Amino acid sequence: MKRLILAIALLCAAGCATANTRLASEDLPRPPAGSRILIVQPDVSLALLTAVGVQEARADWSQQGRDNIAAQLTTAMAAKNHAAEAFNPTDAVDGRVGQVLRLHKAVGESILFASYGPIPLPTKKKNFQWTLGEGAQELSRAAGDANYALFTFARGTYSSSGRAAMAVVGALAGVAIPTGQQQVFASLVDLRTGQVLWSNVVIASPNSDMREGAGAEALVKLLLKDAPL
Amino acid sequence: MRRALAGVALACAIGAAPAAPAGAEPRALGLRPDVATAEGGLWAESDKAEQAARRSGERNSSPELNAYVTRVACGVAGDYCPEIRIYLMERPFFNATMAPNGYMEVWSGLMLRAENEAQLSFVLGHEIGHFKENHSIEAQRALKNRMTGAMVVGLAVAVAGAAAAVNSPSADAARSIMDATRGIVDIVYLGAISSFFAFSRENETDADGMGFRSAVAAGYDPNAGAALWRNLVEEQKKSDFEKVRREEARGGLFNTHPLSEDRIRALDTLARGGAPGRLDREAYRATIRPHLGAWLRDDLRRRDFGQSFHLIERLMAQGEDLGTLNFYKGEALRMRRKDGDLAAARLAYEAAIAHADAPAPAWRELGDIARWAPRRSARRLRDLS
Repeated sequence: MKRLILAIALLCAAGCATANTRLASEDLPRPPAGSRILIVQPDVSLALLTAVGVQEARADWSQQGRDNIAAQLTTAMAAKNHAAEAFNPTDAVDGRVGQVLRLHKAVGESILFASYGPIPLPTKKKNFQWTLGEGAQELSRAAGDANYALFTFARGTYSSSGRAAMAVVGALAGVAIPTGQQQVFASLVDLRTGQVLWSNVVIASPNSDMREGAGAEALVKLLLKDAPL
Repeated sequence: MRRALAGVALACAIGAAPAAPAGAEPRALGLRPDVATAEGGLWAESDKAEQAARRSGERNSSPELNAYVTRVACGVAGDYCPEIRIYLMERPFFNATMAPNGYMEVWSGLMLRAENEAQLSFVLGHEIGHFKENHSIEAQRALKNRMTGAMVVGLAVAVAGAAAAVNSPSADAARSIMDATRGIVDIVYLGAISSFFAFSRENETDADGMGFRSAVAAGYDPNAGAALWRNLVEEQKKSDFEKVRREEARGGLFNTHPLSEDRIRALDTLARGGAPGRLDREAYRATIRPHLGAWLRDDLRRRDFGQSFHLIERLMAQGEDLGTLNFYKGEALRMRRKDGDLAAARLAYEAAIAHADAPAPAWRELGDIARWAPRRSARRLRDLS
């Protein structure tokens, strides 16, 4: 009986935390060891989902999530023998570098829409060809000639205890009440060509809570699982 | 079972209700809420939205115009002046927004419709009123309370309402994008921003009063606020779209600022017996003059020609900028393409080129009309030239 419960729990863990890797090409040359990888400060917005479904943005959680993900990404890069460098985009909103960052945001939104949306663009169904163009070199120059940039973007809500209780009550009554969910999008950009080499979207499971160190570690592990790094 | 359900729902609802909604007390100067509160969260999201606005391609970067609007705003903001940052956005709708962190947007559609500095100062005072009284926090609390009420009435209603509340101020487009990307886009952002936009009617009336008092205190005419709202209501009645005409000046053009006769009457009552103040119409017009053409061109993108004609006629009333205004009247007629519109457009273009400020395309459009006109009228055109 205990084994059965464990098996179900494992299934659920596998089912709850999902990843959706996209690669520009299967035989992508991996960045050589010692590559300089820019960890662009994660863009994280988290909110409390109250019992009645109103979202309250929580700046403290967003900061914790941002710092934890950045720390875990840095650790993960070190484990792969790459040199990770943190990059704070708020210092660079002006000028060409700011333009590259905003271009990445626009391209990232297009990737989410066209490569992950329910109606993918016919031209993007099988190939994952996205690029920021060679202008991406501006970012490299501004950040000590980094070779690659790793972007992360997380949005999500956490249920209040009242909301969780509502969900249970709702389930008993046959009404599905959405509870909190967090999603993370990541992309790796070759700063020489501007090409987006890889992207991934992860839906966090209950044991990968980015507000805590261990949770962020599990989340980043899943996020980078098939990354060409 | 049903009673048990309601009991549980009630218990949860009480648990989630805010401790005590703050009354309408003015905010402290230099306020910065604790990061671990709902208010801190709203501020953080406002900061993010402001970063995006700062580098937005829609921003009007004219130093003269920015300095002017900031000066007028400071005239009504008093001690709060250093806490307010204004972003002028080239968007053809009558709108201004105020976030709790002091980030304020004023859209070009508003600048185009205000007739004088007194009206601008009233509307800026109105927005700053929301800021001084912390209405966005109040709005979020009120939303929560409303939702709590709905919850007690029925579970299913609450679920549907919650979804609607989070999405309501965003366009259908935003919703479909959210669906398409399975919620990874800025739901938090939309949710938080929505709570600034959904000020209650009481908050709006309250802000009207504050806009009125601060503008009058700064020496402006007490009738300016009511005159501005009246102009908007008149323009709405002239809309090409029945749906817009029927709305009580709510939604559409004035999305965030529901107007009602009550609000106008309240302003009239406030103004009664007050000494007339300054309007500063000429200074205002001179400041917006360099942008008039671009703003009218944007306005035509709304494709509500009835409203555009009303607006242009109103701007013509003082006999200024007739070259620019007649040209855009011609453009509106040409684009509308009803029977007789082309002939009327030609008359408007001809009226435009009689004035020194007529834009060069007025001659181009006249030439184009002549080029495609039926042969028999070619001689008439020759006679005209």
